[in-house]
Amino acid sequence: MSIDALLALLEGSRVAGAIRDSLYFFPLIESLHVIGLTMVFGTIAIVDLRLLGLASAERPFSRVASDVLKWTWAAFALTVVTGVLMFITNASVYYHNFYFRSKMALLALSGLNMFLFSLTSRRTVRDWDREPAAPLAGRTIATLSLLFWIGIIFAGRWIGFTTTRATPASEPEINLEDLLPK
Amino acid sequence: MTRFAEWLSRTSLSVTIQTHEWIIPTIQSIHIVAIGIVLTSVFMIDLRILGWGGRDQTLKQTTARFGPWLSGALGVLLATGALMVIGEPVRELLAFSFWLKMGLVGLGTAIAAAFQTALRRNERQWETSLVNRADVKSLAILTLVIWMCIVILGRLIAYDHVWGAWSLSPKA
Repeated sequence: MSIDALLALLEGSRVAGAIRDSLYFFPLIESLHVIGLTMVFGTIAIVDLRLLGLASAERPFSRVASDVLKWTWAAFALTVVTGVLMFITNASVYYHNFYFRSKMALLALSGLNMFLFSLTSRRTVRDWDREPAAPLAGRTIATLSLLFWIGIIFAGRWIGFTTTRATPASEPEINLEDLLPK
Repeated sequence: MTRFAEWLSRTSLSVTIQTHEWIIPTIQSIHIVAIGIVLTSVFMIDLRILGWGGRDQTLKQTTARFGPWLSGALGVLLATGALMVIGEPVRELLAFSFWLKMGLVGLGTAIAAAFQTALRRNERQWETSLVNRADVKSLAILTLVIWMCIVILGRLIAYDHVWGAWSLSPKA
C-alpha cells in the first residue's frame, strides 16, 4: 500500500470522521494533548536537571528517575493517543507539513538520545548516583534532551499555525447551546 | 470590553505583534514550556502530599525544590499571557474560556500561596499529622484538577464557540 493510500484510509476512517464532525472532540483531544506533553516535558526536565546537577542534586539520581519516569511514560502514552487521533483527522496535510516532520524527527532524536544514555552513563550509575551531577556523557545527553523537547514544543505549536483544520463533512448534530436553558 | 479590546488592538505594541507572524507562535510556545514547569511542579508537590512519590523527601524539601520553579514559571506565564492579550485582544478578552481560566488561575495561585504560608507557620505539624489528613489529600487532588482545567481552558480560547451563547467572540 502506498503512503497516500494509507493516509486516505486513515482520513476516511469512522473515528476520524466522528472527530471532524464534532464541535467538541478536536478541541478536547488537543487540550489533553497539551496536558500530556507538558507533563512529559516537565518530568523529563526534572531528570535532566538532576543529571546536570542543577536541581535535586542532593537526592540520588536513581531515586529521582524512578520517582518521575513512570509518570513520563503515562503522560507520553496520553500524548501519543491524542496525537494519533488529531493526525488521522487530516492525515495527508499533517504528513506533508514541514513542522510535523521536524517534530517527528526531533522525537526520534530524543529516543536515540535516551538509547545513548542507556549505553553510557546509565551503565556506571552506581559510581555517580550520589554525586551532584552525572559524568560528561550524561550531562551532554541531558542538555540535548532539554533542547530536543523544547524544540518539539515549538514545532508542535507551529503545526497549528501552518495547517488548516479539516472542516466537518456535515453540520454538527448537537450544539451545547441547545442543551442549555435559554 | 469590546471597545477596550478594539482600543488595545490599535496600540503600537499590539500592531507590532500582529504584523510579525512569528511572534504569536513563539510566545505561545514559551507559554507552553512554562505550563510544563508549573503543572509538573504542582504535580510533584501533590504526589508528595498524597504519598505517591518523593517519600524520601520531607514536605519542606519538596516545596523548597519545586516552589521557586512554580512561582518563576507562573511569572513567565503571566508575562507571555499578557503579551498574547495585547497581541490578540479580541480573541482573548471576549472568550468565555479566557475569563473562566483567569478565575481558576486566581484560585490555583491562592491555594498554592496559602499552602506555602501554612507550611512555613506550622512545619512540624504538617510533616507529621496534617499531611495524612484526608481533606488535605483531597485538596491536593483538587489543586491538580484545577491546574489541568486551566490548561484545557487555555487551549479552548482558540475554540470559544464550544461555549455557544456564553461566548462573546465574534462568530467565525
